[in-house]
Amino acid sequence: MITYELMILFRLMSKPELVNTLKRTAQTLYNRGGIIRKLENLGTRDMPFKISSHGVVYNKASYYLFIFNSPPASIPDLLDEYERDIDIIRRKIFKQETPEFKECTLHEELQPPPYRKSVQELIAQARKLDKPKFKYNTGLDYYPFQK
Amino acid sequence: MFSYVKALQYSQLPINISRTWISITRPLTSTSNNDIPNFDMENPFEKEKPKCILCKYDITPDYKNVKLLSQFQSPYTGRIYGKHITGLCTEKQRQVEWEISKAQRAGIMASYLKEPCFIKDPKLFDSENPIRPHRFE
Ligand SMILES: [Zn+2]
Repeated sequence: MITYELMILFRLMSKPELVNTLKRTAQTLYNRGGIIRKLENLGTRDMPFKISSHGVVYNKASYYLFIFNSPPASIPDLLDEYERDIDIIRRKIFKQETPEFKECTLHEELQPPPYRKSVQELIAQARKLDKPKFKYNTGLDYYPFQK
Repeated sequence: MFSYVKALQYSQLPINISRTWISITRPLTSTSNNDIPNFDMENPFEKEKPKCILCKYDITPDYKNVKLLSQFQSPYTGRIYGKHITGLCTEKQRQVEWEISKAQRAGIMASYLKEPCFIKDPKLFDSENPIRPHRFE
């Protein structure tokens, strides 16, 4: 089961309107077979850049975060439905994932270039492009005849 | 009286000699290995491996944590600093860049500037003195 995060930006509305819009947003989720795990209000504030949607330029928005489970096939439908909602300025759905732990490789990256593995791979890749050299197969480490 | 003392001396002398002989002849066959150094031990002078700042404090960058992400952004142009400036390992740098991209797409982080509320944040690295001249290998 994949957990998704829906980051949604509503236009500035009065409280009853906002409640309506939130309910509508949640209802859309339920209709597509989703369940809401968490709903967070991230506040109303100035956006870092102006966003034009549905023919209006917005400078402020109310930020909400839905954390929900839903069948993956329903995600395009959800995005489409939210795009047509004129109260929504922007919506993004991200997969919630915890990256697997990896050791810090900084000590390898701070080495001089010839010791770094990535550089060694690059050199090996470049050596593949070298022209093949003719081998005499004489078993000697020198050319026995006059050149 | 005299004879008694003399007899005592004669009687003591051989005993003492035999005692010293016992103490001198130490058995050499039982060698204990306590004094031989252990050559298989780890290098005690090995330096501690350097870690990048995010690995050191075990931080996973998240796109909602804009305050952290904006510290990797230039205050002049909003550009994301490369790993030759930030001093992060490849994996953490990739994560930071991806989360910044997500935050900018979601409309919670500026892309052409660092937001004025974050300008006075403490600096995690010196952008004027990069570790390497460029971010490539
Ligand atoms: Zn690291």
